[in-house]
Amino acid sequence: MDGTLVGLVAFAAVIGLLALRVPIAFALAGVASVGTFVIFAFRTGAFAPERAFRPTSSLVFSNSFDLIHSYDLSMIPLFVALGHIAYKADITTAIYHAARVWLVKVPGGVAMASVLGCGGFSAITGSSIACASTMGRICSPEMLRLGYDKRLATASVAAGGTLGSLIPPSVLFIIYGIFTETSISKLFLAGVIPGLISLAGFLIVIFVWVKRDPAAAPAFTGVITAREKARAALDSWPAVALFVIIVGGIYGGIFTATEAAAVCVSAAVIIGFAQRKLTFRALWEALRETCIQTTSIFLIAAGAKIFVAFIALTGVAPDIVTAVTEAQLSAPLLLAAIAVIYLLLGMFLDPIGIMVLTLPLMVPLVETYGFDLIWFGVVVIKLLEIGLITPPVGLNVFVIAGVVGKEVPIDRIFSGILRFLSIDVLVLVLIMSFPVLSLLLPATM
Amino acid sequence: MLARLERLLLDLAVIAVIGLGLLITLSVILRATLNSGIPDTVVMVTELMVAAIVLPLAATTAARAHIVVEFVSNYLPWRAQDWLVVFGSAVGLAALAPLIWAGWREALHVIESGSFFFGQLSLPKWPGRVIFLFGISFCWIRLAVMMLGDIAAIRAGRPVIERAPHIPQEEI
Amino acid sequence: ETRLFFGEAGPNRGARAETLNWFVDDVARRTEGQLVFDIQWGGALFKAGAAAQSIADSVADAGTIIAVYFPQEMVAYGVADLPIKNSDAWVGLRATDELMRGSDAIKQNLADQNLVYIGTFTTSAVHIGCKGTAIRSVDEIEGKKVRGVGAYGKTFADFGANLVSMSIYDAYQGLDSGLIDCSQGYSYAVAALKQQEVMDSYTLLDWGQVGALGVFMNKQSYDALDDAQKEALAASGAGMADKMAELITADNEAAIETMKEAGVEIIELPEAERDRLVERSSSYIDEWVAQADAAGLDGAGLLEEYRGLLEKYGQERDAEGYPWTRN
Ligand code: NA
Ligand code: NA
Repeated sequence: MDGTLVGLVAFAAVIGLLALRVPIAFALAGVASVGTFVIFAFRTGAFAPERAFRPTSSLVFSNSFDLIHSYDLSMIPLFVALGHIAYKADITTAIYHAARVWLVKVPGGVAMASVLGCGGFSAITGSSIACASTMGRICSPEMLRLGYDKRLATASVAAGGTLGSLIPPSVLFIIYGIFTETSISKLFLAGVIPGLISLAGFLIVIFVWVKRDPAAAPAFTGVITAREKARAALDSWPAVALFVIIVGGIYGGIFTATEAAAVCVSAAVIIGFAQRKLTFRALWEALRETCIQTTSIFLIAAGAKIFVAFIALTGVAPDIVTAVTEAQLSAPLLLAAIAVIYLLLGMFLDPIGIMVLTLPLMVPLVETYGFDLIWFGVVVIKLLEIGLITPPVGLNVFVIAGVVGKEVPIDRIFSGILRFLSIDVLVLVLIMSFPVLSLLLPATM
Repeated sequence: MLARLERLLLDLAVIAVIGLGLLITLSVILRATLNSGIPDTVVMVTELMVAAIVLPLAATTAARAHIVVEFVSNYLPWRAQDWLVVFGSAVGLAALAPLIWAGWREALHVIESGSFFFGQLSLPKWPGRVIFLFGISFCWIRLAVMMLGDIAAIRAGRPVIERAPHIPQEEI
Repeated sequence: ETRLFFGEAGPNRGARAETLNWFVDDVARRTEGQLVFDIQWGGALFKAGAAAQSIADSVADAGTIIAVYFPQEMVAYGVADLPIKNSDAWVGLRATDELMRGSDAIKQNLADQNLVYIGTFTTSAVHIGCKGTAIRSVDEIEGKKVRGVGAYGKTFADFGANLVSMSIYDAYQGLDSGLIDCSQGYSYAVAALKQQEVMDSYTLLDWGQVGALGVFMNKQSYDALDDAQKEALAASGAGMADKMAELITADNEAAIETMKEAGVEIIELPEAERDRLVERSSSYIDEWVAQADAAGLDGAGLLEEYRGLLEKYGQERDAEGYPWTRN
């Protein structure tokens, strides 16, 4: 049984099932289970299904259970809860009102504020999914309420969320550092400038979008006095306080990035009750919504995790890398080939999964070409981040879809994403062409 | 009956989220003020995570909150779309079945062998596994009931998914 | 040709990966290419916490099991994680390997779980590094925020440390930001994770090791092999201990040099202080004996045997030196 063939059939099957409106989590888990069963059944050469049940069920169980049974990922339900609670306690509305009156002259000012917010949030969380879940809950509904184009209101935050792993701290850089034995602190520094360039790119997309189509971001029409501006700024103090608590706590050595989520939720609850804007009933409702939203994200992530384990069994990833190795490409062509591989895998698999599948073979290959591993790390992370917003499996897009519910269908979000993707490709080419952008800051160490 | 049970499980998940939030906050406060802590916080948080994520599965299913791609199916007639919903549930039933069987074996294994987590309290491994099995099984039942209901609705000529007017596609 | 799938939770870099690659090559050499392993790195198939069950269920034919994730199932192996005075990697590795390989009771205990022991490649001696402070005596542990693991961490807590849970990868930032004062670790890991940048002192404890980490096989996959292949696995598996010891001893020495160059003060804990640690941690050894007894093993007997083996290999080292230094 040719593993690579099974793998390719599985990719096609996932696309087919998704087109048939099968829930994403079920499509990934279902195809991976069947594929895993087939591979185990043929492992000894002859077809022996009776020997496939146990390993299949064991693989499916451990990969989904271990994903959920995680201390580090506890930050995701907590940050999602933060978004819901801050919304119910009017904390987010206040900051949006401030953004609106202060950025009244800027086209798409609130969308820009959202992306900037994503950039700021990236500095406190290491996970793109956490970034998109929190900011998505905070930003997208507010933009929709203000009459923003549905695509802009959702895609801007899905794209902004991808800053989460480029701007330190970053779980992906840590894993890359472990696999390549490169300095994690240097990797963190290397991500800063490319992260800021990506951020600027997203702002440009919004600017051009709204310039060409002013209706996409209705401008504030009333007259705003300086007094109102000051008032709006003062009213947004709880959001500022929360941000100060998180940043001060993490960098001041009071709590870890994972613990920050819990502390911040507790602080938001206290502020909400102290301002008499939060009730027990509203809090409970916020947490119910949190659970539903978190569950649907985790179910997809669990399906994706099972799929990664199945792909590991097929040997598709090493086959691809071996093919590239044997092609003996020139350095620029190799880089292009790597980009294509990561973008293709990124269509289906999650970033960590792609790294564990490819890095063991990819890193020795790029080393023979004399590539700087720190710079290559930034290239890889940027590619993986792009994968979070490409169809058909774009985790960040699903996160936003989970927030906005039936109001904005997934294909509308993806259609908005296209504009952000085009700038992402430009940024990627920039990062690849000018390693100095990544290596400037680490060199100061 | 099912709906009430779902609500109960959802509320238990809410309690789990509150629990892990309080546990972590408390351990931070204890460390910052009294230079002390709660033993095995990490183990307890991971076990609570299972409850927080898995118990709401049935409610999520009932709310039809599983994320789907409708881009292609939107071009099909309503009736066909209704059948696709049934098909999606069928795939879900098939996809969850191995998890239930595996979850059962794993739960049984940790109970029989008395497995526990390394730590100051040597907490047992079974609660998380049992919650996982329970949550997935209940989601499976919910999905099966929903699928049968959807089939009955189609047979009776009732719609399964909302017949919202087609939104004209804006240019990309 | 027999191709076996191998699941490894770690990356394909570092001493552990190098030893595993050596093992795979050595098996292939001994069987003239008839027995080959296909390694899945980075936990692509299963994470460390699911290794025992996954190998038993033949998700992979073989894989790495870290005993600390399975205190119940891997209770016998856990003897190598106990604070039993020994800081020599080679002595610890050889003693652990011989105990696991030689005891019929352990063999049966593993067979009940559908597992077969193949070989050990441990981490190494436990030490502790601090920022802005130093541990020169046991009394100085009191009140410090410490990232500690296993029985060692519990003992730090007994001496008044405030245990903080975080992974070894987060320890850099934890030390840097002052979230923790000290982090338990291994010399080579300190250098690999560049922790010398955020450490001011490093206290050599000469207390014990964390060593229960090794290769296991699915019993059916193992039983299906012919005798020549089984012999090759046994020989290569035992050889892993020597190989790992050679690599890790060099890495640890180099790491101490790196720390010194970075201005980290290297402190040797006085013997009397070290004895206090050993004495205090003995209750965790008793705890282990009780757990082993409950699992149907002779805990005290295994411990006795393990101590004897440490003694034996310690003498061999003193008399003949390490294998890689003998001509
Ligand atoms: Na970040
Ligand atoms: Na994608």
